[in-house]
Amino acid sequence: MFSLPALLYLSALLFSIGIYGVLARRNILVVLMSLELMLNAVNIALVGFGRVHALSTTSGEHGGQIFTLMVLAVAAAEAAIGLSLLLLIWRRWKTIDLRELCRLSG
Amino acid sequence: MSGWLEHLVFGILATVSVLSSFLVVTRKNPIYSALFLVVMFAMVAGIFMLLDATFLGFMQLLVYAGAIMVLYLFVIMLINPRDETLPDEGGTSEKAFAAGVSLLVFALLTFGISNSDLVTEMTTPGGIPALAEVPATHGAIEAFGYELFSKHLLVFEVASILILVGIIGAVHIAMKQKPASADEEDSNEERLVTDV
Repeated sequence: MFSLPALLYLSALLFSIGIYGVLARRNILVVLMSLELMLNAVNIALVGFGRVHALSTTSGEHGGQIFTLMVLAVAAAEAAIGLSLLLLIWRRWKTIDLRELCRLSG
Repeated sequence: MSGWLEHLVFGILATVSVLSSFLVVTRKNPIYSALFLVVMFAMVAGIFMLLDATFLGFMQLLVYAGAIMVLYLFVIMLINPRDETLPDEGGTSEKAFAAGVSLLVFALLTFGISNSDLVTEMTTPGGIPALAEVPATHGAIEAFGYELFSKHLLVFEVASILILVGIIGAVHIAMKQKPASADEEDSNEERLVTDV
C-alpha cells in the first residue's frame, strides 16, 4: 500500500478532516489548528511527489522538499499572526467564539 | 528498510495521524486538540523520514511540534478558557453541513487521484522504491542545503522576509495598547493624557 496513490489518499483524507474542523467548529483556536492540519496534508502530497520525481531525474533534485520548507515558513508566520489576532480579540471582547464575532462588528 | 516493514510503519503512521487529526477537530477542550495535534505532527514527521526527507522530518518536529505548538499552548494558557467560556459548538445541522462539504471535497480529490494520468504515469510498479533506487544524493542534508542555497536562494530569501514580517506583525498586534479609538487624533490625545 505504500505507493504514491496511498500517500495522496492520506493527504486528501487529512485535508478533508481539516475542512470539517474549519467549518464545524466555533472555537477560533481549533479553527487555526485545523488550518495547520490542512497545510500538513498538502506537505505530505508535496514530499511524495518530490520523492517520485527524484526517481525520474539523475541529479536527485529536491524541488518538492524545498516547496515544503516554504510552506513550513508560511505556516509559522500564519500561526504567529493568527494567534496574536486571537489574543487581541480575547482582550477586547473576552470571547473566542466565532459566532459572537459575527455579531460584534466595529 | 525491507519492503514489508516500510509498509507496516507507513500503515501505522497513517492510521495514527488520521485518528489523531480526527480527535483534534472533535475535542471540545482546545488543550486536548493541541495535544492530539502534536501526535499528528510527529506522525507526519515520521512519514517524511520514510520518504527520505530526513531534514524536513526534523524541521517538522522542531518547527511544528516544537515552536508552533508551544505558541498554541502559551495562548491557551494565557486566555485560560474555562468550560463555561468555551463556545458551545454548533448543532447537528451545522455539523452535518460541514461533514457533507468535507466528504464532497474528499470524494472529488479521490476521484481526481484515481483518474489522474499523471499519478498513473508517476507510479512505478513497485510503489515508491527503496532508498537505494533514487540517486544517492537525494535526501542527504548536504545536497539539500546546497540546492537550497544555490538554485532556490530567492525562495529562501522570500521566506526569511515573510517570517520577519510575521514576527514584526505579531509583536505589533499583540502589544498592549491604549484603548483604541476610531480616529487617530483621539487616540493621540489619550496617549498624551496617560503620559502626563
